[in-house]
Amino acid sequence: MANQAKHAIEVENLTKRYGNLLAVNGISFTVRTGEVFAFLGPNGAGKSTTVEIIDMIRRPTSGKVRLLGMDVTKKKRAIVPRIGVLPQDFSSFDRITVRETLQFYSRLFSRGNADIDGLIELVHLKDKAEEQYKNLSGGLQQRLGIAIALVNDPEVVFLDEPTTGLDPRARREVWEVLLGLKKQGKTIFLTTHYMEEAEILADTVAIISRGMIIATGSPAELIENNTNYLVLTLQSVDANVVEIIRKLGFEPVHDNHQDLKVRVEHTEDILKTLNAIKDAGGSFLSLDVRRPNLEEVFLKLTGEALHAGPAENGEVG
Amino acid sequence: MKLRVIRANLIVKLKTFYRERTAMFFTLAFPIILILVFGTIFLDRDKLSLDLYVQDLDHSQASARFVKTLQFNGNFKIIEVDPATDAREYAQKHKLNLILVIPKDFGILHDQRADNKTHDASVILRYIYDPSSTSVKTKMEYLNMEFAGMNQRMSGRPPFYRWEETSILNQKYRFIEFFIPGVIAMAVMIASLFGTVNMNTELLQKGIIRKLSTTPITRTDWILSNILYQFALAIISTIAMLLVSYWVFHVELHINGWLLGFILLDVFAFVGIGMILTRFVQEAQSAVAAANAIVFPMMFLSGSFFPIEMMPGFLQTFARVLPLYYINEGLRASMIFSDNLAALRYAAIIGAFAAVFFTLGITATKWEEGK
Ligand SMILES: Nc1ncnc2c1ncn2[C@@H]1O[C@H](COP(=O)(O)OP(=O)(O)OP(=O)(O)O)[C@@H](O)[C@H]1O
Ligand SMILES: [Mg+2]
Repeated sequence: MANQAKHAIEVENLTKRYGNLLAVNGISFTVRTGEVFAFLGPNGAGKSTTVEIIDMIRRPTSGKVRLLGMDVTKKKRAIVPRIGVLPQDFSSFDRITVRETLQFYSRLFSRGNADIDGLIELVHLKDKAEEQYKNLSGGLQQRLGIAIALVNDPEVVFLDEPTTGLDPRARREVWEVLLGLKKQGKTIFLTTHYMEEAEILADTVAIISRGMIIATGSPAELIENNTNYLVLTLQSVDANVVEIIRKLGFEPVHDNHQDLKVRVEHTEDILKTLNAIKDAGGSFLSLDVRRPNLEEVFLKLTGEALHAGPAENGEVG
Repeated sequence: MKLRVIRANLIVKLKTFYRERTAMFFTLAFPIILILVFGTIFLDRDKLSLDLYVQDLDHSQASARFVKTLQFNGNFKIIEVDPATDAREYAQKHKLNLILVIPKDFGILHDQRADNKTHDASVILRYIYDPSSTSVKTKMEYLNMEFAGMNQRMSGRPPFYRWEETSILNQKYRFIEFFIPGVIAMAVMIASLFGTVNMNTELLQKGIIRKLSTTPITRTDWILSNILYQFALAIISTIAMLLVSYWVFHVELHINGWLLGFILLDVFAFVGIGMILTRFVQEAQSAVAAANAIVFPMMFLSGSFFPIEMMPGFLQTFARVLPLYYINEGLRASMIFSDNLAALRYAAIIGAFAAVFFTLGITATKWEEGK
């Protein structure tokens, strides 16, 4: 298209009701053409419901959704060839190989010229190309799903939790793929509950909780606008260090790794704290000072944690 | 409707079928095994060669000739019983339902009659039999008929009453020829119904339908390719069944457009029912159970294996509401009796049925709103 519209996706007052449950509660947002847009929210927040209304798997209860400038409830036929979708819990035909599966989907899009080998290489499935779907590990299946979503060279790609269930290396590989797609100018709509994924990939993050968007902006903006403190982390502290810090008027907390976290408002507070520990003869192995991350923003905004378990908090390495 | 899309879908289904060895076995081999087993069991019924135990107390030339005649004319397989034993005890001991005893004076009496010395000389042949046996009566009637014929011939004059048999059917048919159309109808029903139920519930549960709904494939393409696939399977399976029937049992059946037509209607009707089932019974296992509940009564009550005239009246009435009955009868009308008018009548009934259920099936198949 010569003059690309500014917005690939426009959502206005969207609601979705399942019986008594209002799963999506009057949300509005826009996604710019060519950006990576991430929907960040805990389980049951309404991420999938929203995405699947936009990519036309489900129908809205009320509200307007325009995708590539067209109403999704009226122009499905025209929109479908221009988008690619990886639904949550993607699955495919058990006895069909990776290559055959991609061929099948490219035929559905009447794309005789699809670059199947290129796609296979893109998602690092070259040595599994002749393997049947049921013999692929969960991570490999997920990567095939991403390749399928790209088979029609779509303008907008929807990926519902593309890295859930992948090991850290595979996750990083998927990120590489997505960054590559972004360079090609594709618009990417991502849902995730990994804040680091949103932080690394997204131009815009929308935080969704209980069917409502509670904050939107770039990761930096979100942190800037919603926090006014720094986080000081001390490792392997003496028992008395906690007391010293308390005396200074801060509220230290142990995190899951038994590190001590202290929220401070100014950089001088950090020096003050470290000096106080030194003066009292306390010791620690190492320290780290950083801005709060999206996780903490989320916690502050919703009062609920993004994750139930600690293991997935994975620090950016 | 896009041919390219339908073809792509068909390829995936056929490959899956080919790679699912157990499914392939049950679809293709099971009906063939059924034909082989039942065909062999009922082969005797068609040939009608009966065993006959004979105790010849006379052992004359005449009695030996008499036994020979029975063997050739009556098509009996003769087994001799030692004249020294007690025939009753022997029959009890060996669980025989019939022994024919030829008396000691058979030769003498026979010669008296033959030489016209004594006009009224007669011989009494004794049946030692087990009245509780169901088949013995047939055997005895058969023998009686044979003896009547022999008496007649001995009288030396041509019989006055003769008879001719005209079957109300165009052609005499054997049990196996009755059986095969039933097995074809049943095999196509089972493959179409279970194929549809299994595929739909699996794709629904795995979310593949949801993914497909984000591609240009339409519900019509999808249903059409399923029909085509089931039809292709039905044709392959029918060809296999017919080949075996011809090779092993040398059946004489008429293969023509009716066969193709009834298979197609069979597929449409049961793919339709399958689609309805998957809509209303979401759990894969309950859908299979529901399919079983449909298949079993049809299999046994609609005359797949035996004529429904063998069942009590109320079951016959019930059979007439089963769609499979009309496919069975239609196939038999065309394959055995070459009765186009009857075939047309059955085709019209099952055609209407298929149209209704297939249409309901289409409307029942969900495409959007994956979950
Ligand atoms: N088909 C449905 N029928 C009824 N309720 C549903 C249906 N789909 C989703 N819900 C409910 O709607 C809410 C939002 O679900 P949704 O799948 O959109 O959440 P999500 O953010 O994608 O969660 P997750 O991270 O677990 O994927 C949940 O409470 C869910 O139970
Ligand atoms: Mg979800």
